[in-house]
Amino acid sequence: MEVSVIGSSQVNNLGRVDLRYREVGLCSFSKNLNFAKISSPKYSGLFVGQSSISWSSKYLFPLIVKASATAQTEAAVTSEKASGTRRSEVDNNLMLYVGLPLDAVSSTNTINHARAIAAGLKALKLLGVDGVELPIWWGIAEKEARGQYNWAGYLSVAEMVQKMGLKLHVSLCFHACKESRVPLPEWVSQIGESQPDIYFTDRSGQRYKDCLSLSVDDLPIFDGKTPIQVYKEFCENFKTSFSSFMGSTITGISIGLGPDGELRYPSYHKPAKSQGAGEFQCYDKNMLSHLKQHAEASGNPLWGLSGPHDAPSSKELATSSGFLKEHGGSWESQYGDFFLSWYAGQLISHGDRLLSLASSTFSDVPIAVSGKVPLMHSWYQTRSHPAELMAGIYNTVNRDGYEGIIEVFSRNSCKAILPGIDLADEDQPKETRSSPESLLEQIIFSCRKYGIEISGQNARISGSPSGFQQIKKSLTGENAVDLFTYQRMGASFFSPEHFPSFTAFVRDLRQPQLHSDDLAVEKVDSAESLPEKNVQMQAA
Amino acid sequence: MSAVATELLVHYSLRRRTLVPGIHAYSRRAPPLYLNCTRRPLSAGPSLSSFELKAPKALTLRASASTDTAAVVESDVVFSETFSLKRPVKVEGKITIRLVNGKDEENWQLIVGCSLPGKWVLHWGVKYIGDVGSEWDQPPPEMRPPGSIAIKDYAIESPLEKSSTLEGESFYEVKIDFNTNNSITAINFVLKDEDSGSWYQHRGRDFKVPLTEYRHDDGNVVGAKKGFGIWPGAFGQLSNMLLKSEGAENKMDFTSCESKAPPQQNSRLEGFYEEHPIVRETLVDNSVTVSVTQCPETAKNLLYIETDLPGDVIVHWGVCKDKGRKWELPEQPYPSETKVFKNKALRTLLQRKEGGTCSSGSFTLDVGLTAFVFALKLNENTWLNNMGKDFYIPLSSSRVLNKEHSQSHSANKTKESSTAYTDGIINEIRNLVSDIASEKSRKTKIKEAQESILQEIEKLAAEAYSIFRSAIPTFTEEEVSEAEVLKPSVKIASGTGSGFEVVCQGFNWESHKSGRWYMELHQKAAELSSLGFTVVWLPPPTESVSPEGYMPKDLYNLNSRYGSIDELKSLVKRFHEVGIMVLGDAVLNHRCAHYKNQNGIWNIFGGRLNWDDRAVVADDPHFQGRGNKSSGDNFHAAPNIDHSQEFVRKDLKEWLCWLRQEIGYDGWRLDFVRGFWGGYVKDYIDASEPYFAVGEYWDSLNYTYGEMDHNQDAHRQRIVDWINATNGCAGAFDVTTKGILHSALERYEYWRLSDEKGKPPGVVGWWPSRAVTFIENHDTGSTQGHWRFPGGKEMQGYAYILTHPGTPTVFYDHIFSDYQSELSKLISVRTRNKIHCRSIVKVMKAERDVYAAIIDEKVAMKIGPGYYEPQTGPQKWSLATEGKDYKVWEAS
Repeated sequence: MEVSVIGSSQVNNLGRVDLRYREVGLCSFSKNLNFAKISSPKYSGLFVGQSSISWSSKYLFPLIVKASATAQTEAAVTSEKASGTRRSEVDNNLMLYVGLPLDAVSSTNTINHARAIAAGLKALKLLGVDGVELPIWWGIAEKEARGQYNWAGYLSVAEMVQKMGLKLHVSLCFHACKESRVPLPEWVSQIGESQPDIYFTDRSGQRYKDCLSLSVDDLPIFDGKTPIQVYKEFCENFKTSFSSFMGSTITGISIGLGPDGELRYPSYHKPAKSQGAGEFQCYDKNMLSHLKQHAEASGNPLWGLSGPHDAPSSKELATSSGFLKEHGGSWESQYGDFFLSWYAGQLISHGDRLLSLASSTFSDVPIAVSGKVPLMHSWYQTRSHPAELMAGIYNTVNRDGYEGIIEVFSRNSCKAILPGIDLADEDQPKETRSSPESLLEQIIFSCRKYGIEISGQNARISGSPSGFQQIKKSLTGENAVDLFTYQRMGASFFSPEHFPSFTAFVRDLRQPQLHSDDLAVEKVDSAESLPEKNVQMQAA
Repeated sequence: MSAVATELLVHYSLRRRTLVPGIHAYSRRAPPLYLNCTRRPLSAGPSLSSFELKAPKALTLRASASTDTAAVVESDVVFSETFSLKRPVKVEGKITIRLVNGKDEENWQLIVGCSLPGKWVLHWGVKYIGDVGSEWDQPPPEMRPPGSIAIKDYAIESPLEKSSTLEGESFYEVKIDFNTNNSITAINFVLKDEDSGSWYQHRGRDFKVPLTEYRHDDGNVVGAKKGFGIWPGAFGQLSNMLLKSEGAENKMDFTSCESKAPPQQNSRLEGFYEEHPIVRETLVDNSVTVSVTQCPETAKNLLYIETDLPGDVIVHWGVCKDKGRKWELPEQPYPSETKVFKNKALRTLLQRKEGGTCSSGSFTLDVGLTAFVFALKLNENTWLNNMGKDFYIPLSSSRVLNKEHSQSHSANKTKESSTAYTDGIINEIRNLVSDIASEKSRKTKIKEAQESILQEIEKLAAEAYSIFRSAIPTFTEEEVSEAEVLKPSVKIASGTGSGFEVVCQGFNWESHKSGRWYMELHQKAAELSSLGFTVVWLPPPTESVSPEGYMPKDLYNLNSRYGSIDELKSLVKRFHEVGIMVLGDAVLNHRCAHYKNQNGIWNIFGGRLNWDDRAVVADDPHFQGRGNKSSGDNFHAAPNIDHSQEFVRKDLKEWLCWLRQEIGYDGWRLDFVRGFWGGYVKDYIDASEPYFAVGEYWDSLNYTYGEMDHNQDAHRQRIVDWINATNGCAGAFDVTTKGILHSALERYEYWRLSDEKGKPPGVVGWWPSRAVTFIENHDTGSTQGHWRFPGGKEMQGYAYILTHPGTPTVFYDHIFSDYQSELSKLISVRTRNKIHCRSIVKVMKAERDVYAAIIDEKVAMKIGPGYYEPQTGPQKWSLATEGKDYKVWEAS
């Protein structure tokens, strides 16, 4: 005869209890030894205080060294060099980020779609994504008046991200965004009303009002303060306000360098239907006066009276005009070189001002500073590269225009963000002679030369698996990047048409290239082999 | 959501559980048991969330640790902490059952006793002549011992009283007197340990004491003995375990002696006495203190462990050399009584203190180690660790470092609690991974883990998608008002009704008591209509485990404590006659089960919707559902329905349509919609096409340092998000407005009633047409009073909601109170001026002691003691009604 006990909750627990037994009993000690071996130091501490083992959800899709043929063959060459550097950031530990919606924080500083974002963050976390990118808009955070910052909405987002155990890359955006209807701060556009020359202007006098012209960088247009000073204060205040996240949750910032945050002139407005390559944007008062001075100084005062008279308008075929035509265009003339050098030089100086501002501001916090390099891939396959020239990059068949830009990044120890690594040549319209792939290759070559780290971004939500193929190609090839930010979370991102392929893409990236039988988990000594392989990849 | 009547917890929420090592005594190799202790939670926090936090942890044993910060101050102690431990102790005792004759042949007494100390309760019922099946009945009142509580309509719980006894030991027993004339054929019982929630049964079934004829010749052993023979006790060891050997099946089973013969009253009843051994696991508090001191000369750390655990205590330990938590062996020499365990850890036996109950040991640790990690081993099956993890004692080379450590400790704690809600899955992953590391079936496990995670990811993505894609991107008030104003306001939509609705909540928390609520309300229908109500919300109509109706069981059984299905139909008909629409209270989030599964878990449903455990969400461990993870929050007292299952949705849609047709309900009040995704609600609404629907999305407002935030945008955004997820096909109770009214009225902070944009601060400011405003309901007020509106200020609240846009709801208790005439005036002002759910509010004043607004330029109002009079401009204002601290004017 016996007495047994039944309590629903007891019974309930039995299954769980069993599990715990196994977990604790059988692997409590072994796991501390074995398991630690497969976790690289980078991930330990991710779950501080929660478990004696470190566990990143990455292991879901075990992240395994790509022991590809290239890596192995190059091993001999690079191992020596590698052993000296031993960086912890390695290519096959590619960091994967996803951009948050552009309007994640509303103009009233509340989170838009907080629940959707929360769910989205959770999904990304489970998927093994490392972090998210958050655009912080000048027009929201410093909306009310100069020096009056309101970070409330952004802080709550950062908190959400932190709670989810994700990393955060912040983009400080000093431009306006039509897409998400974020304007410049009102106190800025008010000044623009009375002094329209603070904006970039084209030959026809059209103003580009989504960011300030680089020509006013050092002009005291804000009650005696220059835009650079205002940007600096913005960064300082941001740094202070987010100090508790710096280096832990926030791993990097990128500083807005111009239209769409990119280091370029707003020569080319989206969407451009025509075959034009854009227009030169050197017609605001200050640009013109600077051009004049420059021309006078170089002994050709007549060259400084205006921009190139025979440059095409944005509606004309880029290579049809006198200035940019393929053969015998004035771009190859002495005047052309004079003008283009000046035009591109202005942009590089502007980039230098902002990058050094950012790198000095954030020098005392452990975060990486980046800036965005544009990918003006239209007309790349021409001799004159009209689109790049008008965007301010003096890159032609005769001249490498990216060296100078990348050199500035290198000088300021900044990382370069390259948008558009999802773009494939074959998808581009033939008539624009575009080649995003070759352009990317050229820029990456410069980056490698100067040893600066590269973050990739996609230009648009990928509708097809082929887009992801292209991204993967960019991520895993020789030109592998260190961080990839997928742009960006929103309805189409989570749509049934898109999200499954994104999931597959992430899993694919994270999944072993080896057969699963060779998983490192099983081999006790695999941990030792990991760093080596990592180093090979990274040095490649 | 209504609170759960306590008696329900019997079945559904026995969550304080102990682990019983003996559970595995019958499995071939008992895996070692780890007991866990937790640090004491920093703060209780909002009760709901902390409850959720704790739920998963309740699976393991808990103990708490208090950091002895004072010790840190001492010069050489660099670390000192006492962890409290819960140690399981097995206690053996006996259950006694005695049947004795009372003062005559007809009066008998059943005495059930237990020798173990504790809060014992006899959970019992009887069977009457003619009862069939295994159901219990409640015994007649005279049988119930003092202190008994009725459990629903079939059982009684009687406490066992402590009695001084045999050999001076304390003994617990309860006596049940009964008369053989009262047609009772058997007494059934189980014994319940209130402390642990454990139930003690007999061979997996109830104890049964048959009271009618014993047939001595049917081989039943119980009846065979005559007189008051002492029974020899049970065979072997009995314990409170589930996995029991079913050896000698039929020999001693006195429960099987149910008589098949027709019961004969006054048949000879024979007394007996039986003892059943019982083994109970209790938890005994012990503690372990770890202190680290630093030797000033050698800079070595001396770690000292002391514990009051009895018996041999082995410290199973290792050290960490870097920031990771990898166990390593320290340099020799080791302390005495130390063995190396598989080259992975050391095992050191603690030395007993002379004459004391403490064991202790000290460990000298070299410089350069970052931590000392250990677990305590009591015997092969019993391990003690710290909250599922090893005890981790940080070592440091300087005191400064130690401070950092303690800070990081607390930081971790905060982090842990704040992230805990996200971590359910992640924890599971971790468990799975542990399995992976430990088992050969690793690959399949990985696959399973991936599968379940992918499912979760998909669900989250679907949720995010539904919100992002929704037509109305965000609730900036411009968009709303434009969109809303342009709509013709007479169009009837389920989210708004006609737009001119005034809702009456037609019940309170006590309405079930009379058993004839439908009849009572029937009498009041005409009165409610004449007061100006257009919609009435009736209580949940289904059979329910709790009398109030919020624990539904058989959805198609509409005989409830409020009345029968026919009375309900006639009530609905009556309301329709007087021009009032009727909302049914549909509880879709959860459902109480009819049967237990093979593990004894209540998750199998009966009735027309005889779902199995696939209809139950998988993430509430108490109900072992086999469905998907919940798409919302879990309500913990009953199995939560998995709405992602096609068959569940199909059945629920059918049910709602049936209610519409059969009963004549015009719409729904949806209970606890936080529990599942709003998209499913849309599905239900689309299928049942109600005239009006409103969901209860009730969660806590935002507070900072105990003070309610002025900006409740996040709170109302959550409600708006939900409405959005339903595609606007349902309104939602404006909990935000109620909360803000609380603060505004109670603390003279009327300024709170204007948000940063000068709009009403609740849902009504953002999406007025979908805001169903209220100041009180059966949960917040009535006899529950979970969140009662500031007393005496109810009319100010009504002056606000009845003049403002949104759809106002008036609570039954207020309608039938002294407030009736005032309410009636306010409702008639609203009706007369055609204020509707999209009316435009212009806030005129929002100051410390007064709030004033003009609505649709037709009605002006103020609440609060401060002064306000509407300015005469294009309109001339005349006072329409007033009361304590409120005034309402109409334009003329």
